[in-house]
Amino acid sequence: MNVNPLEPMKARITEIETMTEIEKLITIKFHDKEYAENFRYMPGQFLKLGVMGVGEAPISICTAQNDEHELELCIRNAGRVTNAIHKLKVGETVWGRGPYGNGFPMEVYEGNDLLLIAGGLGIAPIRGVLQYALHNRERYGEIAVLYGVRCYDLMLFKDDILDYFRNGDRHGVKFYLSYEDKEDQVCYGLECERDDRCMHGMVTDLFKKIDHPSKKTYAIIGGPPIMYKFTIMQLEKLNFRPERVYMTLERRMRCGVGQCGHCIVGTGKSIKYVCKDGPVFTLWDAINTKGMI
Amino acid sequence: MLAKSSFSDFVGALDDYGDIYAPVKISEKAHSFKEVESLTDIDLSYTRTMIPPKKFFIHPEEVIFEFNIDEEVYTEPLGGGERIVLLGVHSCDINALNLLAKVFTEELPDKYYLERKDRSFIVGVSCVPDEYCFCESTGTSHAQEGFELFLHDIGDSYFVRVGSLKGHEFIETHPSLFEAAEQSHYDSFRDAERKMYASFTNKLDMSGLQDLLDMAYESEVWTEYGDKCLGCGSCNLVCPRCRCYDVEDYINLDLNTGERVRKWYSCMLREHGLVAGGHNFRPTARERIRNRFNCKGSLREDMPNCVGCGRCTVFCPAEIDYVEVMKKVRGDIK
Repeated sequence: MNVNPLEPMKARITEIETMTEIEKLITIKFHDKEYAENFRYMPGQFLKLGVMGVGEAPISICTAQNDEHELELCIRNAGRVTNAIHKLKVGETVWGRGPYGNGFPMEVYEGNDLLLIAGGLGIAPIRGVLQYALHNRERYGEIAVLYGVRCYDLMLFKDDILDYFRNGDRHGVKFYLSYEDKEDQVCYGLECERDDRCMHGMVTDLFKKIDHPSKKTYAIIGGPPIMYKFTIMQLEKLNFRPERVYMTLERRMRCGVGQCGHCIVGTGKSIKYVCKDGPVFTLWDAINTKGMI
Repeated sequence: MLAKSSFSDFVGALDDYGDIYAPVKISEKAHSFKEVESLTDIDLSYTRTMIPPKKFFIHPEEVIFEFNIDEEVYTEPLGGGERIVLLGVHSCDINALNLLAKVFTEELPDKYYLERKDRSFIVGVSCVPDEYCFCESTGTSHAQEGFELFLHDIGDSYFVRVGSLKGHEFIETHPSLFEAAEQSHYDSFRDAERKMYASFTNKLDMSGLQDLLDMAYESEVWTEYGDKCLGCGSCNLVCPRCRCYDVEDYINLDLNTGERVRKWYSCMLREHGLVAGGHNFRPTARERIRNRFNCKGSLREDMPNCVGCGRCTVFCPAEIDYVEVMKKVRGDIK
């Protein structure tokens, strides 16, 4: 076990799946058995993942807790650290510490309907929520997912997504898909398959397709910064109360434990550290904390 | 009570507690906490040092891990830390250290900070505010804790307050240095405090500042001072409560060993809010200066993030006056 919270723990890459040109799904397992077993997390929490000699980056965990103590991480090759991670092979070492932040409070959602809204890489933390809810299907009411992609090539978790899209009703989830690239033949094909579940447009356009959410619905959003404002406008039209809207935010983070200051957001009235107080926040937090979205 | 004539013996006794660092005049305009070589170096009449004593607890740059890629191991370079005595720390700086201690030792104790705190012996000293000091406004003109001993200048002697068990033990083991305080000393202490409070000229109304900052989110104030700001980050470096840090890995030429380094960082720099992929959450000086003042004015750690030491104003090359900005936020001045 690490007694210093900043000490990176050794982990091995057990699987790598290339998902898109810039995103890989990397499965890791901590070397220290005790650390691996005690690594309990909720969907939406993240870890600091690093490569020795290069640095660390905050990466959200995109699986629900499992008995193999393996963590799936969807990593976009976007910076120095993630670039180094992309160069690694199965069996090689990465370094992790965590889990950090507050995840989605899955117990709060119990007995309620879920409306999950994801755009781009935002599907990574949302996938953990969906997995968790499907593993514990009886605890939740209706589950609907709105997922927006730019094009088929950039779609993440394709196998999962297509399975949910085609056979979702069997899993107990209504899966809606939007795509931005009008020329995309594969997505167009999906639209032909189920035009009630797939359309060309932004993720927010999918609100036209869904049934009116019940009053006991929690909306859960994950996506690029620009997506939040527009998604929240739609949710407000549907009279969602601010404490029923959850979202996960991205910021620069160095420590993960509320010390380094990079992820600060807010005003004198309400200052939050996204790493420690988030990365999951409610719309009520966002209303109180200017600059959050 | 400590007679000023016993001061050199007092300093001599402190030597047993570690290397002594005290304010030393280093140039016409600046003082610095430096290791004391002779008693005459110590200048307790200083106003403020450029770099606050936080430098002893979170080093400007420090190795937090050493690594070896072949051996797959991170090791902590702990142990062997020097014991230090900080002599002549002002109330504002002690209060600032109290906040740092809260951040670095409460929730997830930082080993490096804890270690240094254990090894330190802090002696506070009373001061006379200059035109930049406004610690009375921020409620940090008096230090209640966070020191071993506190010396209040009352003329021929120092009125000594004890702030910790370590300080108490120091007095117990050096009885010849101290005398018991009498009623007249208490009176002199109160007079000196009253005189100190009466001499503040720089004042900032802190009441409701948190909400006023919130209301000023879209204010022109941030554009005005954002345009002035050079983005140099000096204000962060000299601020006793600023604690942002960056972490970097340095690899040696053998491409195998190296160090993970933590170093002071500044929210006024462009990269502070930049994430991989190129999105910047605080892309312009306007957002950055707004963030800094909101951070300073918040009660995030149950106390204002500013102790009124005046350093950021004194050392800002663009002459941005902290109190002036906050007064504009309040609407006290246009």
